[in-house]
Amino acid sequence: MNAIETVGLTKRYGLHGAFGRLGRGRRDPVRALEEVTLAVRPGEIFGFLGPNGSGKSTCIRVLLGFLHPTAGAARVLGLDAERDGVAIRARVGYLPGGIALYDGMTGADLLDYLGSFYDRPPALRTRLLDGLELAARDLSRPVRDYSRGMRQKLGIVQALQHDPELAILDEPSEGLDPLMQRAFYEILDERRAAGRTVFLSSHILSEVERVCDRVAIVRRGRLVALEEIGALLARRRRTVEMRVDGPPPSLTGVPGVTDVVVVDGHLRCHLEGDVRPFLAAIAGAPVSDLTIEPARLEEAFLEFYEDREPAEAGAAAAGAGAGDDRDAERTEQ
Amino acid sequence: MSAILLRRTLAAGRWRLLAVAAGLATWGFMLCAVYATFGAEIRRIVEGGYFGDLLDALTAIGGGSVFTLGGSVALSFIHPVSIALVAVLAIGHPMAALAGERQRGTLEVLLARPISRRRVYGTALAATDLFVVGVLAANLGGVIAGATLFDVADELRLDRLLLVWANAVLLYTTVGALALAASATFDRVAPALGIVVAVAITSYAVELLGALWPEMAGVRPWSLFHYFQPAEIMAGVASPMDAVALAGISVAAISYGLWVFPRRDLAAPS
Repeated sequence: MNAIETVGLTKRYGLHGAFGRLGRGRRDPVRALEEVTLAVRPGEIFGFLGPNGSGKSTCIRVLLGFLHPTAGAARVLGLDAERDGVAIRARVGYLPGGIALYDGMTGADLLDYLGSFYDRPPALRTRLLDGLELAARDLSRPVRDYSRGMRQKLGIVQALQHDPELAILDEPSEGLDPLMQRAFYEILDERRAAGRTVFLSSHILSEVERVCDRVAIVRRGRLVALEEIGALLARRRRTVEMRVDGPPPSLTGVPGVTDVVVVDGHLRCHLEGDVRPFLAAIAGAPVSDLTIEPARLEEAFLEFYEDREPAEAGAAAAGAGAGDDRDAERTEQ
Repeated sequence: MSAILLRRTLAAGRWRLLAVAAGLATWGFMLCAVYATFGAEIRRIVEGGYFGDLLDALTAIGGGSVFTLGGSVALSFIHPVSIALVAVLAIGHPMAALAGERQRGTLEVLLARPISRRRVYGTALAATDLFVVGVLAANLGGVIAGATLFDVADELRLDRLLLVWANAVLLYTTVGALALAASATFDRVAPALGIVVAVAITSYAVELLGALWPEMAGVRPWSLFHYFQPAEIMAGVASPMDAVALAGISVAAISYGLWVFPRRDLAAPS
């Protein structure tokens, strides 16, 4: 059983019911999600990326039952997202993006209050508070006095304190300083080690690269890529810079090597995919210096973010997914 | 209904509840004091014919006046001052509970817990009703304290006073149910509050105009306030159909709210 499963999930705003037909008949509906099909495996940390307004939050809100899908279906922990919302939320921890908290309550009271709705005890609270450096003195203050970072920490604690089977985190490290981000990543690693699933949306690509096992990219409500982080990075173009003290190696016809430029003993090219043919080609060459710039998720991400037609982006995604586990990963056009 | 949410709601609203209750208790007490101190003189002035039928007409709404104890009791429940005070909770709380939480973004945090929207709605309704019961009990307490302290308690029929209180609870429960239905319908407080305040003011104006202007008497049944006639209750001539009408409107508003709130989309707060 997958932790999250969506099939043809579609959400359009507008034109609902009699009021929509009467009042907005000439307006096109907003297509927030278009036939999104994905599966999140149990025990993985799954990154959900996309530009602002791409449909990330809409998808999360459908999973939690805040929004009703126009078409398609979503299952969370094997339960129907529309029908079984209460049972799902009993097993899920959720951190909304830009979380709003009850300002008049103290941090401790807020955690007690929000935790009291669950049957599970807040078993992880102490660990989370320690990890995120929220001291008892901080928790005794009203939330209205908290900085943005402290609010975010409190949001993370309220989402995870009851040790949920699945955590859905919308921009979780927003407002955290680098030290706290690192502490948060350690918490995520612990979640994975404990066999818990995390579904997180983020704009911080280094964070996604650091913590996620797989990533999905949405754009204009459509899923344009879904694959292992490692596979995504392996396919990215790396830039190679090489200095040679003699004749440069011939890189013509070497798989994955393109854009070779040689100027005054300085060779520059791009390298995609498997690095071994390239290494074999330069073996024995008089190389005095070699730099292979590591592939970054950012490049892959920006490629999918570029303003192309959905069909084109979808084709790119289909290519990206070649050779991966197609049962769990579907690319929509 | 959720006991956890109800406890938290009552705790969060306790100071507002106490302030409104103190205001209404003082108001009820003061009207009895005015009746006991000046009631006879005011009655002589009215009966002297100096104002023609004007005072009679002005006191027609709800039968409120300060020259009978029954009229003073009626006035303590139906005067715009008491209506405004009760509305702080009967309208203010439903607005804050759904549209307000939605606007602030805290409804999302609450609904991320294992609690259904119907339970959230039911709890908001129960809390509104408890607030209304509480502040109207304070009003009642103020009336009884005033009548006792100024030695006019023997003029009071306690059973009828309790009926006035119960009818007032029903009226404001209806107002609260309408407010909660509006609050469940909108994402922001302003439109929901605007509609409910407009309904309440129009309703009051319709009853007032219908009472003052015989040609408009036919529109009075369209007013919520028409179904709360404390002076008639104190005189023992009220119609039980008033309570039936208010209960019917309440049930309709609650049914609508319970239907619309779980079905509507809750998009990300803007």
